[in-house]
Amino acid sequence: MKSFLALTRRELGVYFVSPMAYIILTAVLVISGLVFVSTMRAATANQEPVDYRSTLQWIMMVVILTTPLVTMRLIAEERKQGTLEIILTAPISDAAFVLAKFAAAMVLLGYLLILTVGYLVIISRYGPVDAGAAACGYLGLFLVGGVLYSIGLFISSLCSSQITAGVITFCISVMLIMATYALPQVVDTSLIRPFLAYIDLTVNFSDFLKGVVDRTRLVYLVSVISFVLFLTTRVVDSRRWR
Amino acid sequence: MIEVSNLTKTYPGVTAVDDLSFKVGKGEIVGFLGPNGAGKSTTMRILTCFIAPTSGSAKLAGFDVLEQSMEVRRRVGYLPESNALYTEMRVEEYLLFRARLRDIAPKERAARVGETLEKVRLTDRRRSIIAHLSKGLRQRVGIADAILHRPEIVILDEPTIGLDPTQVRDVRELIKGLGEAHTVLFSSHILSEVEKICGRVLILSKGRLAASGTPEEIANKLMKTGNVRIEIRGDGRAIKAAIEKVAGVVRTLWSSKGDMNTYIVEPSNGVDLRPALVRACTAGGWDVYELGYERLSLEEAFSILTAPEKGAAS
Repeated sequence: MKSFLALTRRELGVYFVSPMAYIILTAVLVISGLVFVSTMRAATANQEPVDYRSTLQWIMMVVILTTPLVTMRLIAEERKQGTLEIILTAPISDAAFVLAKFAAAMVLLGYLLILTVGYLVIISRYGPVDAGAAACGYLGLFLVGGVLYSIGLFISSLCSSQITAGVITFCISVMLIMATYALPQVVDTSLIRPFLAYIDLTVNFSDFLKGVVDRTRLVYLVSVISFVLFLTTRVVDSRRWR
Repeated sequence: MIEVSNLTKTYPGVTAVDDLSFKVGKGEIVGFLGPNGAGKSTTMRILTCFIAPTSGSAKLAGFDVLEQSMEVRRRVGYLPESNALYTEMRVEEYLLFRARLRDIAPKERAARVGETLEKVRLTDRRRSIIAHLSKGLRQRVGIADAILHRPEIVILDEPTIGLDPTQVRDVRELIKGLGEAHTVLFSSHILSEVEKICGRVLILSKGRLAASGTPEEIANKLMKTGNVRIEIRGDGRAIKAAIEKVAGVVRTLWSSKGDMNTYIVEPSNGVDLRPALVRACTAGGWDVYELGYERLSLEEAFSILTAPEKGAAS
């Protein structure tokens, strides 16, 4: 546990000592801010109330963009620079190592999401914002982000090049968001439609947006995160049996 | 302290370590010697639980590297060949982080880090960012990390690689100092290095143990069948003829300076020519000034031991 905390702290240190975290957070605020202003403008032009849900949806898109940036270096960099060797020859379990990486990424995600609460505060001055539903939406964002970040971490554990890890992570993230929307345009998906709806993160997220915490969705997202983190641990461990 | 038996590690198509067995006792400083690709680093990575052996076993401080990996890791300090460090951190900050990973009690950490910095003479650089340090100083940070938790066993992979002669001497002194409190296994391909620090040398070639012993023992073992060097004053040609008559002499090389002659005499396998040569000289009335085996340096012993077998397909 102590080593887990020490590793998480160092990992956060890397984000916040280097300009990386600030660049990511700034980019997120600039992009989401632009989107926010344009949706506000569009809504007032049409004389409609601004819906906070569309803002949260946009924030999810931005979270997808951050996924490769936040996760690609996590393990790939250690592998490339050889620091994996000094960490994994210290008395630290592979699981603690992987969990610390994930925890640090999730702290960054939490930080990022907190920064966007400001938009809802502004909206609440012009229209009704259901605080409960909004909190639910944020829980959804956090969990969907968790799925994406855990996948990013897993890909990073497979690669020794950060760029490769980043590109693959980005592709997978986009696919998971567009599964129900894009695939049926190209192939006949009538057979796997329920399956696609099950794995599609946008579909998963839309329930949270309605202010409903559906138990199956919750279990699904949490188990995906756990399973992917387990796989990552196995990959890190594989150096011992390969 | 270190017990390795029948250790084998194979990668697809390559046998990096081949049925390796050796023991290192408590407080010993043992040098691990071999050309590049001999399996030194692989063995060290197995001993430090970074990778697992294909077969065979290794025990450190009584704990098995596979079964009791955490116990082994607690008792071993390791400097990998790459000496990879988190270069964005400051020296002291890095060591404090490592102290936390090593589960050193919070109250003790600062004192322990200070003491270790003193030991590797980095106290004045403790606020420097590791990326800004020279290679030699970084190497010291790596060594500090390896001894921070006062491990029973210290494993150093090529600790002097890429350093300038002064830094090499510094690191050598440091390792010598470690021998007092720790069991040290360190690898190198610089022989003079090993000769100066180690009580014992293990020579590795193609994943196998080619020789083990003190530097002198190894050289001696090789010299058993070696050539005899003898210096005799007198008529060179006559002496050469007399030497060649001695039973067991295969070949004689002769060089002279004035009336002082030096002969290198090659015996047939396993024959000690020295007494017979002296008798021959006494019989001829010549004075022997010097007699001995031609001295083989560790360097030469090493190249003989690790040379690819003649005629073997490469």
